[in-house]
Amino acid sequence: MDITLIVVLVIAVALFFDFTNGFHDTANAMATPIATGAMKPKVAVTVAAVLNLVGAFLSTEVARTVSGGIIREGDGGVLITPEMIFAGLIGAVVWNMFTWLRGLPSSSSHALFGGLIGAALVGAGLGSVDFGVVLSKVVLPALLAPLIAGVVGYTATRLAYTITRRRDDKSERGGFRYGQIFTSSLVALAHGTNDAQKTMGVITLTLIAGGLLTPDSGPPFWVVVVCAFAIALGTYTGGWRIIQTMGGGLTEVKPTQGFSAEASTTATVLASSHLGFALSTTQVASGSIIGAGLGRRGSKIQWGTAGKIVVAWFITLPASAAVGALAALIASVGVVGLVIDAVVGVAVIGGIFLISRRRPHDQGAAIEVDLAATSVLSRRRARRAERRGRVDTPAAGVEAPFVRMDDPPAPAPTRGGSTPDDEVRS
Amino acid sequence: MIDWSAFLVVALVSLCSAAALVSLYSLGLRLLTVDDRTTGRTAAGWACFVLCAVGVLFGIYLIVPALHS
Repeated sequence: MDITLIVVLVIAVALFFDFTNGFHDTANAMATPIATGAMKPKVAVTVAAVLNLVGAFLSTEVARTVSGGIIREGDGGVLITPEMIFAGLIGAVVWNMFTWLRGLPSSSSHALFGGLIGAALVGAGLGSVDFGVVLSKVVLPALLAPLIAGVVGYTATRLAYTITRRRDDKSERGGFRYGQIFTSSLVALAHGTNDAQKTMGVITLTLIAGGLLTPDSGPPFWVVVVCAFAIALGTYTGGWRIIQTMGGGLTEVKPTQGFSAEASTTATVLASSHLGFALSTTQVASGSIIGAGLGRRGSKIQWGTAGKIVVAWFITLPASAAVGALAALIASVGVVGLVIDAVVGVAVIGGIFLISRRRPHDQGAAIEVDLAATSVLSRRRARRAERRGRVDTPAAGVEAPFVRMDDPPAPAPTRGGSTPDDEVRS
Repeated sequence: MIDWSAFLVVALVSLCSAAALVSLYSLGLRLLTVDDRTTGRTAAGWACFVLCAVGVLFGIYLIVPALHS
């Protein structure tokens, strides 16, 4: 097997995975500030991209294992070959693209684990996967993360509304927008330090396996640079579909809720990464937003959307495992298999991208866009539209019947979508 | 298999720190927008924001590995 070809292929697909990781997770940090108008969409993704870039350089100590114990690698276990890593990455990338098309926030790390599991099952048999670790590291945290974040988000939101409750007609709740900028920036920075590292680890381990680096060496500087830029570019591209789901599809987010949700996400993510119980940022962020939605009287949660997101979390691992397994099966043919994998992979990704352009609105998504667009629509524009007699429901304040999901939501002319005084007093 | 004590610690720490941060910020907003503003209230309001800033700095300290390892 030509070692150079496989190393080049792994690096290419790993960098693309890093890119999808970036745009998949922009929403975790920036969905709520965009929805409440704390930051304009372009400003928000730029801030997130810069912080991801900075974060990637801050933390370059890569993991010793690719899968974090899910696959029995190392002494007495299986050897993860570059071919397996390649097939696993293809599984992860394809699943990330698919969930993006559906506007579903799913965990990129779980997609990577899933792809690797699938590839390992085909390449090294059933014994190569430690299903106990799968249960304790992926399945149970996926149940616990939204639960704990939901409780924290609910409590924080109740507290914020209680403390700022006033008898007179004034409200200071618009001030929460400034706070949101800080909390969401922390989430973006934490993302950069965590997630760029994963790709650096994958590339470094592949270089070691290919004999291009000595074992136990850290990532070469060029690896750090390209990974940092790949994730920052992905973040800047902004997965608008996912941003719209999280910023408006789950619940209409007010500044108070947005601040509380981001504060809960930050607190939970930092606590989990420093106190030894890893939780997925994506799942924590979704849970916080639902908790914040429950915490404001009169706000509605779109449970249908929430259900779809939960389903996506649970099929992320098996689905990317299936793609990874298929890719590993094809790759086992040899160099021809690798080339077929690469070509099919590019075709599928290109196809998903084309579908996203041609069908910017499917039925489920249209509701989400409607809600999201309402939340970025300023009161003044909504009233103007209402006066013209165009709308009778609050969600129909959108000028066009559909908004293309790939385009950033139109920035509101004033400071954002929801004015503080239209919040329901609780 | 699941480290329940670690989970409990994470849950409690998240709850307390998020609640503290949000309460301080809300209190700061409230104190700085009351109608009968006194020097004491204004000072207390700004003190709340300063404490929030300390919280954010602590977050940065936790995120950047070079600072704490």
